[in-house]
Amino acid sequence: MRIVVLAKEVPDLEAQVRVVNGGAALEVEKRRGLNFFDEIAVEQAVQLKQAQGASVLAVSAGAGTGVEALRRALAMGAETVLLVDDPALDGADPLTVARALAAAARREGFDLVLAGKQATDDEAGLVGPMVAELLGVPCVTGVTALEMEGDVLRVSREVEGGRETLRVSLPAVLTVEKGLAEPRVPAVMGVMKAMKAQISRVTLEELGAVTFPPLVLVGYSGAPARPPVTMLEGEPATVAADLARLLREKAKVL
Amino acid sequence: MDFRLSEEQEFFKQTVADTVDRLIMPKVEEIDRTDEFPWDLWREFTGLGYLGMRYPEDIGGMDADPVTCMLFYEELARASVGFAQSVTMNMLMGTYFLFRFGDDAIKERCLLPALRGEKVATICFTEDQSGSDIGATRTNAKKVDGGWVINGTKNWITNGPLADFATVLATTDPTKGAKGLNFFLVEKGTPGFSPGQVMHKLGCRGTVTGELVFEDVFVPDQNLLGEEVGKGVIYLTEILNEVRCMTGALAIGVARTALADAVEYAQKRVAFGRTIGEYQLIREKFARIAVEMEASRLMVYSAAWKIGEGQNPRNEAMMAKYHATEMCLMAVDEVTRIYGANGFAEEYGPQRYFRDARFLLYGGGTHEVLKNFLGKEVLAGRWRS
Repeated sequence: MRIVVLAKEVPDLEAQVRVVNGGAALEVEKRRGLNFFDEIAVEQAVQLKQAQGASVLAVSAGAGTGVEALRRALAMGAETVLLVDDPALDGADPLTVARALAAAARREGFDLVLAGKQATDDEAGLVGPMVAELLGVPCVTGVTALEMEGDVLRVSREVEGGRETLRVSLPAVLTVEKGLAEPRVPAVMGVMKAMKAQISRVTLEELGAVTFPPLVLVGYSGAPARPPVTMLEGEPATVAADLARLLREKAKVL
Repeated sequence: MDFRLSEEQEFFKQTVADTVDRLIMPKVEEIDRTDEFPWDLWREFTGLGYLGMRYPEDIGGMDADPVTCMLFYEELARASVGFAQSVTMNMLMGTYFLFRFGDDAIKERCLLPALRGEKVATICFTEDQSGSDIGATRTNAKKVDGGWVINGTKNWITNGPLADFATVLATTDPTKGAKGLNFFLVEKGTPGFSPGQVMHKLGCRGTVTGELVFEDVFVPDQNLLGEEVGKGVIYLTEILNEVRCMTGALAIGVARTALADAVEYAQKRVAFGRTIGEYQLIREKFARIAVEMEASRLMVYSAAWKIGEGQNPRNEAMMAKYHATEMCLMAVDEVTRIYGANGFAEEYGPQRYFRDARFLLYGGGTHEVLKNFLGKEVLAGRWRS
């Protein structure tokens, strides 16, 4: 089985992000790594590799970014990686990215595509399902359990009040949710392999991926500052009365 | 002049940072509280294979350059200096002379398992009357038929009471002082070799430090780790620069965590209607820590880079160790002041950083000894600005 993992490089969850240029751009601290949910996808792929003898290719798309994410995937156990590296992918919208990744998966061949259910930067959650559509294969989102049953997959996902279990024939695209697998801490052998690896690069033109900007970024605005907190002090009965008054008069929720 | 880390080094640093955050960070408070060696963490962490990183790949290492090693040490100490000391003992001082001089059987029996974390290593220098004054070593090794007999007591031995084997500094000719010293391998279970008292330390709790006692301990000839009798100190200089830079890197690691905690605290703690970070006297503390940390980093990494280039940056490594450790002591002190009385409370981290940092003063030479040496170098014209 050939598994392609979609690996997005995102700013570290603790990186500082500021809206600059009057909302025209974001200034993001340069601490980058593999998207949290994609790391789970890599882990699941590596577990399938170890259990089923699958081969694992991690693919990332970016304009000069993605190497950190792919090295992480290599350190965790992906055998090969491919970076779709093209200036047209700078700030690209989800459909453009999905076209790039789908073209790469098609060229490289796949039985299963695994991706995080969303990226921790834009949280759009679109690329996985879009890749499935472009490849013309079934898609299950938010997978929390997965096992092979002969040549089909049995997968589960959390739904309101319970769990839904499905059988999926391959080839397919799955996006994965927290809880599916605990990403491993890479051992030094993997880290060394990742450090030494030459990252293969390919452009959109070489992949024959068609791109155009269907979405245009208008701007960013920061979250509004939190209003000041009023602490009420005193006897419980007085505090309760004050609270009720504030909720009615100031907050106007009563 | 290019001060950038390579893309590979950046990746390595980030990977180690992530590993430290996931495996070590959650356990550091418990280790400090219980003062017990964290065997589970030891097995989990050493199982990842980092211990051999400075050694060649054919013995399970990474052949990593000194700068990359410093990145590792710094990240490790960001979580725990004590655990870092146990780990680095297996990585460098406790295994180097076996790697350099041990025969195949010694490497198979001791070195390789130590690099996998399956055996605990240590090195023994300090005695009750010798430390920086290495020539005063009284533990002695007498030549006998087929080997050597060692007698003496070592103290302040990191990992000592747990060690599966020890590299022991002993004099083979007490009349020659520092020129009569040699290293010997002594393995656990050798008759006459036993652990003595365990030290109760101010900081670095969870790292077991104590005495090792040698009473008529016979070791065979191949356990003399060195080609020539009396050359122990010369062999020691092969790693001394690296050891000093390492101590500097550990100091930077501790100071980074203390600083990060203080930044968070100063932005939340309110006094007189403003966060304390808005007061100039508090900002001055942050400025001073940042300036000294930046200087320490430049010194440690530049000295490490010179080691990797095959130079012998003896003075620079001493300066780096001295400056980074003093920076760290200043930083952890200032951070306890930023925390006010909370800096004195066990519920907060600063008191631990404050205690742990003190242990960095002694390894690689006390600052009194280093400054005395450096001053002599300057006066003799062997160092120019």
